[in-house]
Amino acid sequence: MLKMNNISKMYQTEMVQTHALRDFNLHVEEGEFIAVTGPSGSGKTTFLNIAGMLEPFTGGDYLLDGIDVGKLNDNQRADLRNQKIGFIFQGFNLIPDLNLYENVEVPLRYRGIKAAERKRRIEQCLEQVGLASRAKHLPQQLSGGQQQRVAIARALAGDPRFLLADEPTGNLDSLMARQVMELLEQINRDGATIIMVTHDAELARRAPRNIQVVDGQLADFTLYQGNPNVAVGA
Amino acid sequence: MLEIKPIFNALLRSKVGAVLLLIQIAITTAIVSNAAFIIKDRLDYLNQPTGYEEENIFKFNVMTFGTDLDLIQQVELDEASIRALPGVVDAVQISAIPLSGGGSSTGFRLKPVPEKSKSINASYFETDEHGLNTLGVELIAGRNFNQDEVILNRDYSQFPKVALATKALLDELFPDEEGLGKVIYMGDQPLKIVGVIGMMKGPWLKLEERKDRSVILPMVDPGKLHQFLVRTEPGQRAHVMKQIEALMHDNYAKRVIQDLTGLDEKKADYVAEDRLMMRMLVVLISVLVLVTALGIFGLTLFNINKRTKQIGTRRALGARKSTIIQYFVVENGIICIAGLILGVCGAVLLGQQLMTHYSVPLLSNWYIATTALLVFAMSILAVIGPARRAANIAPSIATRTI
Repeated sequence: MLKMNNISKMYQTEMVQTHALRDFNLHVEEGEFIAVTGPSGSGKTTFLNIAGMLEPFTGGDYLLDGIDVGKLNDNQRADLRNQKIGFIFQGFNLIPDLNLYENVEVPLRYRGIKAAERKRRIEQCLEQVGLASRAKHLPQQLSGGQQQRVAIARALAGDPRFLLADEPTGNLDSLMARQVMELLEQINRDGATIIMVTHDAELARRAPRNIQVVDGQLADFTLYQGNPNVAVGA
Repeated sequence: MLEIKPIFNALLRSKVGAVLLLIQIAITTAIVSNAAFIIKDRLDYLNQPTGYEEENIFKFNVMTFGTDLDLIQQVELDEASIRALPGVVDAVQISAIPLSGGGSSTGFRLKPVPEKSKSINASYFETDEHGLNTLGVELIAGRNFNQDEVILNRDYSQFPKVALATKALLDELFPDEEGLGKVIYMGDQPLKIVGVIGMMKGPWLKLEERKDRSVILPMVDPGKLHQFLVRTEPGQRAHVMKQIEALMHDNYAKRVIQDLTGLDEKKADYVAEDRLMMRMLVVLISVLVLVTALGIFGLTLFNINKRTKQIGTRRALGARKSTIIQYFVVENGIICIAGLILGVCGAVLLGQQLMTHYSVPLLSNWYIATTALLVFAMSILAVIGPARRAANIAPSIATRTI
């Protein structure tokens, strides 16, 4: 579903070259739930940005659902993002001037889905995250956990092939973080592929597959198979 | 796809900036449409046909301090010597200078005073039979007056019996018949119209006086201070003007020549205030439009800076660059249209007030419509730059913690 071969990302200023990612190889199969961990500045977010086509990569090949991302122009990448990827951001990134219904509607409008179908999907997704009754509320009228659930509803509304979550519980207290994590696990059980960047080792252990990024490379590859205390090296 | 409804809803929830811009657009539309209309009215006023070859005519004043002369004889001598100058078409002593802002007017009537009668106010000029040719205005019917019809006025014992009048005046006095040959009255003095003049503006160009009502009376009545009008061949005016002072002093020394000025310059002095007002209105319009454009530009830039993360998020969720540009253009378009609706109402009300209190003609709807279209086009142009900048915000900004 997602194949990265020798992906590199280099930032260049007049004085220095910085390699954010080097020889990065990753294959993700449909239905996986992957936690990406690593120290600050290791390249986790760069990996997520490249996986989500939010920024271009400098070298290597990236195939998403068999499509060579490196050959797409800006509009094609925008369309592909809209159709295949759902984003969940650390800061929720809800649009403050739009109510919950309108926030969830945003990616559906970009896809040109008709109003009746949009309404059906929005109501279904808000129902799924338990916020259908608050569709007319503005984001600032909700708690952090509720806002993140709206963001998850927005990510799900377009029925994407996989979800990219960037520290989805980073701004939440432990209770709300657990609720959001349970929701993500439920979504994964329902068939969605999820890649989640997190600092939280405990949350990462709940994901069936962990990858660790250190100095822009895939440093460790660990699969927890039911027992969180047993790591299987790759 | 167009996102009018969510943009509209979002504007309603965050409306301070939008309302300020809307008011600015409304004020600009109301003021610019009225100011543009007034400018057009001023331009029509400044460029109205006068009937004169203004660039070939000049005037001067003669202030006589000597007492050892007969003024009427001296005037005839002066006129003859000026007419003899090479390049001069004709010259005449005249009671008032056209387009100068100074002269005489009175009511011309169908019946003598004190009988009740229709009376039309018109400016009048006293001069001799050379007046028509010196002024260079067109005689469209009848004849000029003869030398023997000219009254040389020393003691006011006689008054002219004939006159020349503009067609516009005669049409008002005699709307259903020809004015030529009719008798009109200046006070209780009858004047037979022997000639009809096509176009001939009086000393004033403004408002009521802008109507082309003028009368030429065959009378010479020079005082110590009197005025001459001279028409020259094209291109000869400056050369002739240089010779005037010496010639007049050669004819009679005890006098001063003053205000030797071209008719076009005289008119320019007269309309200087109007020209200044017009320029100020042009500056006002330019500043208003510029400030509004900057307002739109600034508000859009402010909104972009405020919504950087939101724009990045929209891009991450699948918005193309063109969708982002469209978003800001539609948002601005909604504000602009609301402002224009308010502005059009304001323009009509302002126009009515100006008409009531300052005798400005009724504002034409075309000016309002054209101004509204131009303001709309200007607002779109002002928003395009910032909107393109917004579209270039990288979608990766969505994952940054800012």
